[in-house]
Amino acid sequence: MRRGRAGRKAAVSHRSQLPYSPLRPSRCPPLSAALPETPRVMSFRQRSPHGSTTSSPQPPPRWSQGRKRGADGKRRKQHGPESSVFDESKCGGSDGRLDSFTTPEGPGPLSRCSDWGTAVEEDEMRTNVNKEIARYRRKLLINEFARERKSSSGSSDSKESTVTVELETDEVVLMRRQKQINYGKNTIAYDRYIKEVPRCHRIPGVHPRTPNKFKKYSRRSWDQQIKLWKVALHSWDPPTEEGCDLQDIRPVDLGEMETESVGSNSESQTSCQDNDDTCSGTPTKVRHVDYQAEGEFNLEVCLSEPLKDFDTLAYRYLNAADFIKSKP
Amino acid sequence: MGRGSPGWLCPSEETSLLFALCLWWPRHVLPFPPGLTRCGAASRGHQLQPRTDTSPSTAPGSCPWRKPVMGETGKEEYKIQSFDAETQKLLKTALKDPSNVDLEKVANIIVDQSLKDCVFSKEAGRICYTIIQAESKQVGQSIFRRSLLNRLQQEYKDREELRTRSLQAWICYVTFICNIFDYLRVNNMPMMALVNPVYDCLFRLAQPDSLRKEEEVDCLVLQLHRIGEQLEKMNSQRMDELFSLLRDGFLLQEGLSSLSQLLLLEIIEFRAADWKMTDAAQKYYYSEVTD
Repeated sequence: MRRGRAGRKAAVSHRSQLPYSPLRPSRCPPLSAALPETPRVMSFRQRSPHGSTTSSPQPPPRWSQGRKRGADGKRRKQHGPESSVFDESKCGGSDGRLDSFTTPEGPGPLSRCSDWGTAVEEDEMRTNVNKEIARYRRKLLINEFARERKSSSGSSDSKESTVTVELETDEVVLMRRQKQINYGKNTIAYDRYIKEVPRCHRIPGVHPRTPNKFKKYSRRSWDQQIKLWKVALHSWDPPTEEGCDLQDIRPVDLGEMETESVGSNSESQTSCQDNDDTCSGTPTKVRHVDYQAEGEFNLEVCLSEPLKDFDTLAYRYLNAADFIKSKP
Repeated sequence: MGRGSPGWLCPSEETSLLFALCLWWPRHVLPFPPGLTRCGAASRGHQLQPRTDTSPSTAPGSCPWRKPVMGETGKEEYKIQSFDAETQKLLKTALKDPSNVDLEKVANIIVDQSLKDCVFSKEAGRICYTIIQAESKQVGQSIFRRSLLNRLQQEYKDREELRTRSLQAWICYVTFICNIFDYLRVNNMPMMALVNPVYDCLFRLAQPDSLRKEEEVDCLVLQLHRIGEQLEKMNSQRMDELFSLLRDGFLLQEGLSSLSQLLLLEIIEFRAADWKMTDAAQKYYYSEVTD
C-alpha cells in the first residue's frame, strides 16, 4: 500500500489489502472491501494489467501448496484453499468502519477485527517484535563494543563502519515485515531448509537469508528482498506431482526491477543466481497456468500472499510505474 | 459524622463511615452485622469462608484468597475426573502431545464443561495454559488458544441469552473467562483483548437484577478478589465505574440479602486497602470471634 495516496478509494488492491494492513490507522480501507466481491476489488487497480481477473476466477496459486499450515494455523493435509486471517464470519467490517483504530492509552494500532484469537495473536506478535528489537539493539551494541576494542588495540580499519545505523522502529512497519517473514517461514520449504542447512553451515550468497526487519529499507526494497528470499526458498520445496521444481539455473533479470537498497539486494541477487532454483517466476507460472485454471478465484488466497500472487511481468510493470513516483 | 451523601466519598472514607454508622445505629436496624464489635460477622451466621481457590497471581500471604500454587499435575488430574474416560484420554493426550489431537475439539470440550461445572471452570484455566504451552513448544502454533478464545467470544456475544437460559451456566462462564484472563498471558502480560469483555461481564453482575441474586454477587466478588488488581492496572477508569455501581448497590438497593451486602462491603473494603486483606478485615469477616 502506498503511503500518502489520498486518491485511493475504499476498494483495495492486491498489494494494499494485506491481512496485516489493518494495523495502519486511518489509512486502511474498510475491511468490507476485502470481502469476496471481486469485481470491486479488482477494478480499482487502474494500472493493473490484470484486466482478465476482474471477471474470471483465479485458483489458489501454486505456492499455496507448499504451505504447511493455513493462515488459521491448521496443518494442511490437502491443498485446501488458503483461508485468510480475516474470515468474514468473524470480522464484522461491513459497517464500513475503519478496520483499525488507535486509542490514546492503548499500546498501538488495534485491529478492528473483533476476533479474539487474532487480536491476541497480534498482541503476541507485537510484544515479540518489541523483545526482538531490544535484543537486536543489544547485539549491535555488543558488536560495536567489540569492534571498538579491536580498533583501539591498534588494528587498522574495521570491516564495517562503526557508525550507529538507525533502526526501523515503527511498530506498524515491523509488524507488517514480521508477518511477511512469517509467511515465508510457514512453509514446508523453509522447514526442510533449516533442517538441511543449520545456521552455522550456511554459505552467505548461496543459502537464503531472512531479511533483517530492523534495518531501514524502503518499502519496495524490503518487499523485493522478501520476494527474492521466498523464491530462493523454493529450492527446498518438496517434490510435487508435476515433477521436481528444480530447473536449470536461470538468473533473474533484475535490471528491470528498480530497487533502492544496494547492499542487501545485491546479496539477494547473488544468492538467487547461484541457487539452482526457479528464480524466475514466469516460466513456472506459465507451466502451471492450466493447473491453476481450474477452481474458483479465492480472494483470501490472493490477498494473503500479495507478492507471490503477482505475475512477474505485472510486478515489473507496476514497479516501473511506481518507481517514477516512489519515494524512499 | 454528618458528611452527607456518601456517594462522593472515596472508598476508604466510605467504609470508615459505614463502620461508624454501625457503632451508632441500633443493631437491629442495621441491614448487616455490625463491625468493630466483638461479635463480628460470625454472630449473625454470616461468617465468610476463606476461599481456598488458588491463583497463579502473586499475592503471597496477604490474603487468604490466594495461594500461589503452580504446576500441580495431580490437581489437574483431579479436575478432569468429571469427564468420561474417552474424553479424559483425549485431554491427557492434548496435554502431552497436542499435535496429535483435534485441538479445536478439545477447546470446545473444555468450554462446554466449564459452562456446566463450576468447580471445573474455576481451574480450567490451568489446563488451558498447559495445553497452550505444550502446543507452542511442540509445533509453535496456537490453534488451541485461538479456538478457545473464539469460542469464548461466541459465548460472550450471547451472554445475555445465556444468563436468561441458565443462571448457573452464566456464572460458570464468568468464572471461566476470568480464570482464563488470570492464567493465560501473552509474554507475561495479560491478554488485552479480554480486558473489556471481562469488565462487561462484571458490570453485568453489578446490575440491580443480578445483585439480588446471591450466587451472582458471590461470583462477582470472587472474581474481583482473584483478578481485580490486574484488571485495575489494565483499565482503572472502568474499575472506578464498577465500584461506584457496587457502592450504590450496597447502599441503596432494595432486595439485597444480608449475605450479599456483606460480600459487597468486604470487596469494597478490599479494594480500598489496595487489594489486600487487612488484619481488621480478616478479623471481621473471617474469624470466629467468641464473646
